[in-house]
Formats: sequence, C-alpha cells, structure tokens
Amino acid sequence: MPPSGKGGTGEQTAKRPAASARPALPREFIALHKQRRIMDALAELTAEQGYEATKISDIVKRAGVARKTLYDNFEGKEEVFLAAFDSARDELMRRVEEGADGGDDADGGWQDRLEGGLAAFLGFVAEQPTVARMCMIEALSATPATTKRYEDAVDAFVELTRKALPDDDRLPGTIAETLVGGVIWIVYQQLRRGEAERAEDLLPELSEFMTAPYLTSA
Amino acid sequence: MAQLPRGQHGLSREYIAEHQRARLFAAVAAVLDSKGYAGATVSAVAGEARISKSDFYNQFESKDDCFLAAYDAAVGRLRGEVLLACAPHDGWAEGVCAGLAAALATLAAAPAEANLLLAEGLCAGPEVCARFRLLVESFVSHLSDGAPDLAAADRVTAATGEAVVGAIASLLGRRILAGEGAQLTRFFPELAEFALSPYVGVAEARRIISAG
Repeated sequence: MPPSGKGGTGEQTAKRPAASARPALPREFIALHKQRRIMDALAELTAEQGYEATKISDIVKRAGVARKTLYDNFEGKEEVFLAAFDSARDELMRRVEEGADGGDDADGGWQDRLEGGLAAFLGFVAEQPTVARMCMIEALSATPATTKRYEDAVDAFVELTRKALPDDDRLPGTIAETLVGGVIWIVYQQLRRGEAERAEDLLPELSEFMTAPYLTSA
Repeated sequence: MAQLPRGQHGLSREYIAEHQRARLFAAVAAVLDSKGYAGATVSAVAGEARISKSDFYNQFESKDDCFLAAYDAAVGRLRGEVLLACAPHDGWAEGVCAGLAAALATLAAAPAEANLLLAEGLCAGPEVCARFRLLVESFVSHLSDGAPDLAAADRVTAATGEAVVGAIASLLGRRILAGEGAQLTRFFPELAEFALSPYVGVAEARRIISAG
C-alpha cells in the first residue's frame, strides 16, 4: 500500500498548534512511513518463507530500516505481524462494507449486498496477494495471538454476512458462518496455489454459492 | 487408558510400544484441549500419558513429531467411521447424510480429539495445517461424486463441493473453539440441508432430511 494512505493522519497532526518552531509533521510522517515499510516487509517475507523462518534481521533488511527503528516502533516480530494484520483487516472490512453498500446506491437487495461485499473481498485478495496470504494462511498458525486475531476477524465477517442476509426463520441458524467459511476456504485454496491474482475469477461461482440455494426459501 | 502392569508381564516390546503410542495420542488431544498448544509440552504430554520422558523420546523425535502422528491417527479414525457409515447406502443423498451424521457423532464423542483435528490443533503449524487441508479435501469427492448433475441448470459449479465441505469444517472448528464440541450432533439437520441444497434445492433437501 502506498504511504500516502497515511497522509490523513499527518495532516490532522499538522493542524495542531506546533509546540516548537519545527512542525511535528515530517517526523511523524517518517515514523508512519517506516512502520508501513516494516509491516509490508514482514508481509512479503512471511508470504515467501513463512512466519517461523522470518527473522528480525530479514525484516529490517527488506524494509531498509535500522534494527533500532524496528524496536523503537514495535516490541518484536509478533507485534509487527499483529499491526500488519490489523491494518489489512481494517482496510478489507472498509472495502467489503463499501462493496456491500454498492457505493451511492444503498437500495440493493440482499443478493446485491452479498455479491458487492464478495467482489470487494476478492478484489482485495487479487490486489494484495502477499497481505492476503499473511492474513489468511500465516495468521492461522503463526502464534496463539495471531490465531485469535484471525478468528476474531472471521467473526466480524460472519456478523456482516448475517446482517446482509434476509430475515427468514427458515434459513439455518448457522448459515452466515457456513457461507463465510466456504468462501474463505475457496480463497485459501486459491492463495495456497499461488493464484491470488486470479481471485476475482471466483466471483461467479462464489456468488452462486452464497445466494443460489436460498433463493427459493428467502 | 489403563497403564500396563510393571515388572515381569511377558508382553512383547512391540505391544508395549504400540500401547504407549496410543496413550500418547490420547494425551496429546487431552493436553491440547486443557492447556492449548503452547501448554502441550513434551513433559505435559508424557505426564498425562504416565510415560517417562525417555520413553517418549524412544517413540518420537519431538513434540511436533508426536503431534503429527496423533493427528494422523485421529484423521484415520474419523475417515474410517465416515466411510463405514457411507458404505451401505446406494443413494447419493442418503450416503451424504449418513457420512455427515457419522462425522458429527465421532467428533462429538471425543471433543478433545475434535479440537485437535479441526480447531486448536491447527496452531501446531504449517504441517498440521497441510494435514487438515488434505482431510477436508478427502471429503469433497464423497459429496460431489454421484451428486445429481445440475450443472446444466447453472446451480452447481466446480467449487461447490469444495466450498460446502470447507464451510462445514470451518463451522465445526468455530463451534469446537466455543466449547460446543460435545454437542456437534445437534447441527446435523442444518448442515445436511446446507450440503444437499446446492444440488437438489432447499425444498427437496428438507424433504430428504425429514424422511431420513
């Protein structure tokens, strides 16, 4: 992700009255930029060689920062991973929610909402395969804390799906969980095969999977 | 599992080794279930199995080695029960329902082992995750082979069987983590409906399940 994504935070900081003659903007901007580079380096390295094999020395080399810089910003490798995971999850959630809302048109039916959210999810995976790999493969078994983060993120997507589905007593109580689980499984397999760039090809099939069987009951 | 008597008992070395392995597999699941993966140390597993650490290392090179062997043994049991349950059924839908019911019953009867197979066991790392993947994949053909061919009607795609099986595995993992491992059989009606519906439609799926 380009560092410009963090520009908003920097501008807010700049509006604060400066305590000294030098504005705080450049230093904070550089710190955020470096944190971003460190997180991106970790995502790339874990995608290439796995979390376990990724060493702090690899991360700082890839990110082009001093070892001290990493430790000034993070407690260690796990914290870098969790920060990178959180950042990716936030962006993904935002895009999926926007996708479900269909931009300005908020009047879509539940199938449109599911398909819009699904398309945004697959778009994210295709655009950022290393980040997706880190979040959907490595997070599963990196450390107990990353596993927990992964499960919490799945919970959040289950909740989103539950809200998008029609309110129908005859739908199985576990339907949101199974639909999300099925989509994640197919995307996980695609990522594992190294075909993340083609994730959007899955849209027709997964959209069918999420909506078709229930059209008759909803 | 009972400890073997000490001293002169005339049991073969192979028999004792096999017995110890079975005790260690049960201990891996029990310790994982009570203490999590981080707490499942060699000492804890050997202690739970009432086996000395040196006997542990006679059997396995490491904790991971024992973990993988325990995982494989649990996979073998689950697959065995499912295949046994499917075998007598000629009809596709009846076979799927029988296999699903057997899987749920097997997992619910041994929640610690279910946790090893589908939930916390996956914390053990990429090798166990790969075994989990193979387990899930192995069930896809049981669902899709012999299914009514509705591809012409645009209902069923290549990913359907894989998505359904992956979805069920994911749901069971979540419910095991939520402490519902012993109650998994209660999900049978809705999971059977979920598995059959893409192939035969919701109404027919409900008819089959209520008739069975």
